[in-house]
Amino acid sequence: MEHKTDQTTSAALPEKPGSRFRLGGNPVLQILLLNAGLMIIALLPHLGLMRFSTMSIFAYTGIYTVVALGMNILLGFSGLISLGTAGFIGAGALGMGVFLRMGLPFELSALLVLLIAAGLGALIGLFSLKVESIYLAIATLFIGEILRQIYTSVPIFGGEFISIGAVKLFGFIELNQILQVHRSILYALIILVQFLGMLLMYNLVKSRTGRALMAMSRSEHAAQAMGINILKYRLIAFITATVYATSGGILYAMFFQNAPTRAWTLNISLLIIAMVVVGGFKSIIGTFLGAIIIYGIPNLFLKDLLGDISYVFSGLLIILVILFYPRGFVFVGEDIKRLFRRRRTAAADAGHKGGGK
Amino acid sequence: MNSATPLLQLDSVSMKFGGLTAVDSLSFSIYEGEIVGLIGPNGAGKTTVFNCVTQFYKGYTGEIRYAGHEGMVDLKDIDVSRVVQQGIVRTFQNLELVPDLSILDNVMIGAHTEFTTGIFSHLIRTPKARREEREAQVKAEEVLSFLGIDHLKYAYAAGQPYGILKKIEIARALMARPRLMILDEPAAGLNDRETDELDQLIYRIRDEYKTSILLIEHDMGLVMNICDRVCAINFGKFLAMDSPEKIKSNPQVQEAYLGQEDEV
Amino acid sequence: MDNILRILFNSMQTGSTYALAALGIALIWKTSRTTNFAQGSIGTLNAYVAGILLSTWGWSIWLVALVSLVTAFLTGILIDTFIIRPAAKVSPISKQIITLGLIMVIVGLIPLLFGVDPYRLPSFIPSVSVSLGGASLRYNTIFVIAISLGLMGFLFWFIQNTRWGLAIRVTAASESTAKLMGVPTRTVTMISWASAAMMGTLAALIVAPQSSVNPNMLLDVQVSAFFAGVLGGFSTFAGPVAGAFIIAFARNFTAFYISDVWGNVIVYSAILVFLYFKPYGLFGKKIIKKV
Repeated sequence: MEHKTDQTTSAALPEKPGSRFRLGGNPVLQILLLNAGLMIIALLPHLGLMRFSTMSIFAYTGIYTVVALGMNILLGFSGLISLGTAGFIGAGALGMGVFLRMGLPFELSALLVLLIAAGLGALIGLFSLKVESIYLAIATLFIGEILRQIYTSVPIFGGEFISIGAVKLFGFIELNQILQVHRSILYALIILVQFLGMLLMYNLVKSRTGRALMAMSRSEHAAQAMGINILKYRLIAFITATVYATSGGILYAMFFQNAPTRAWTLNISLLIIAMVVVGGFKSIIGTFLGAIIIYGIPNLFLKDLLGDISYVFSGLLIILVILFYPRGFVFVGEDIKRLFRRRRTAAADAGHKGGGK
Repeated sequence: MNSATPLLQLDSVSMKFGGLTAVDSLSFSIYEGEIVGLIGPNGAGKTTVFNCVTQFYKGYTGEIRYAGHEGMVDLKDIDVSRVVQQGIVRTFQNLELVPDLSILDNVMIGAHTEFTTGIFSHLIRTPKARREEREAQVKAEEVLSFLGIDHLKYAYAAGQPYGILKKIEIARALMARPRLMILDEPAAGLNDRETDELDQLIYRIRDEYKTSILLIEHDMGLVMNICDRVCAINFGKFLAMDSPEKIKSNPQVQEAYLGQEDEV
Repeated sequence: MDNILRILFNSMQTGSTYALAALGIALIWKTSRTTNFAQGSIGTLNAYVAGILLSTWGWSIWLVALVSLVTAFLTGILIDTFIIRPAAKVSPISKQIITLGLIMVIVGLIPLLFGVDPYRLPSFIPSVSVSLGGASLRYNTIFVIAISLGLMGFLFWFIQNTRWGLAIRVTAASESTAKLMGVPTRTVTMISWASAAMMGTLAALIVAPQSSVNPNMLLDVQVSAFFAGVLGGFSTFAGPVAGAFIIAFARNFTAFYISDVWGNVIVYSAILVFLYFKPYGLFGKKIIKKV
């Protein structure tokens, strides 16, 4: 199930340094601006410019973005797939629920949950050395299903859901879902984590580690000949992806302050993959765009406009974007620019010929 | 040019796939500073020999010895991803570059083992990680200008003409401080002018990077021009190893190529 | 003894539904190189067709089943023509995500077309049972098992012995080679999607009397069918079918004798361990990579 990148990618034009990663302009600045813009949303409900429920949708989009970033490291950069993502988001949310109810501090709980997730990610990484392609994909689905079974049937997870209640950060900042100011602060924290997630991922993929992942995804044999240890980078890919997914779960527990047990189905995992595919493989901003298109737009606008059809619409959107934008939605801007450039040169050519006559 | 101990020594190496014997007790040696060509008709087992040397295939019998940094080693004791640290690098016939990375980044993959920083340093871009990244970049730029393609460094690998892609592969291999460079059909797909340039390029690699070179090539003109010695094999078996002139007039080699008229 | 028999018959019935779905998934995997996540949804959609015909016009279960199989055939052809064919050049992962889009479209369309209330579908044969070794066995169960096994038997015969079966096998081996050899690969994939849709629908019709016709009725079947595919190996058609029955038996036995709660977890973990040692399933073969 490895993916081969489109060979006709925009190609031969030399570009300015810093814009090598197809994001255009300075990528770090773009990440900063995007998250600064999203941060402002925390204020809007207080000024009466936005409903609190709308802010919650952006919070949800942020959580999805964090999870999908991890999936992009796996799918986009490493050419590997996981169908068990939902299980790891659930591990984050439910694990937080369990540890917080045990009275552990928020930070310690998060750390424990992340360590457990990293361990599970390492197991999958080891497993991936033996099992390939569709077999690996379905093996990860097994892991997702096993986790789901455990969540719904082990009493420690509370049956239907774990109610968490107000969270206490750094031992003294108590935040709940009821006070509007608290909700805004919680939202801002999600955006902060999203920002850090994007920045760390940018650093990672622009480094030796990122190049090694891409070389491995392209050809394991060639990667090994260059000294890249496949086991090590498989582990890095799967552990990073599970840590991002679990972080999404932790954010979920922090913001919604309860953790359901039945929600973590295959469909959630598929939605995450769809965000990466639709937004753009290997693109950080694209991952956010994917989350906005798959989750944000249907819930922000379409539900009000179209009601029940919104789900059909998102499905159609996924199909259409894949059929017509196989490289991902992040390229729409670039393609439009190119279209204009082509028109202009065509017009210039026509003018030239006309002048010659 | 020949020193007493060989750089690489194959000692009755055999490799079987199921019932098929791809390499059949093959022995030959390469000395430091040599350019050696490995020739043979299609299906003679040339690429299999490469894959055994680079330890991609571990199932061979016989011994492949190499004069490493710490004396003679049996390459079988070395993991496939550590062979490069011994100074053995290779290029691939079907160009294994990452299409949506810039040429510079592709070449920097070759410096993978030069780094001492790991994933955590990369995540937060520690000063050391940044310094290593800069050093690798400077080195990659040097290699690219050595090959005369530094003006393309920020372009994507995808969509480049074949001749450039081949140079990027060579550049990536040069990043790893090679002592033995293994080239899999370096001239395949090149136009006449590029093939002519290749002669000079291979000499320059040998002289400036102080490497020995082992190459598979179907372009007999190139092989006979540049190789110090040529090893001919057929059906995985050793036929002859000698200077290009003597190989050309070797009746066994001629026979092996009979019926493959476009190859000679 | 009667417990064992009862579990055996139950497992034969659930195993049949898994096997039908798994065979559909394997057929599509082999001819279109994509994992059809929408296999269950397509079956559910057509079970709704049966449900609405039965409840509005009171047609017999046999007639509505027939009509829903015909609509399933058409659904398969429509999906292949308008979605899968045009995506031939899309990367493999994107192609799989297309079938996810399909789930969303189908699950979204169901309440619009059929309303939000679930439908009831009766068994093919009303509740009459025979006693067999102390366990009571319903005629419907016998019928369901027989028709599933018969259908799968026919399919194996068809694939092994007919010209079209050969075309399917050649397409599965390599679509481009098949094209060069003059195999109408377009028709082959189209028929594969149509047959897979029919098998999914049959699975839905078998499941429906036990629960109801609702959007989630085939979730378990869908996931189990994937598991059956990897357990048996996707390189043969018999593998997924064998895998389906093994999973059904194993789940029922562990649920009954060990723990209702932990049965699935034990079976899934066991399959994972098995997969670690036989990464291409029971009957699978490793594809040797050439460098």
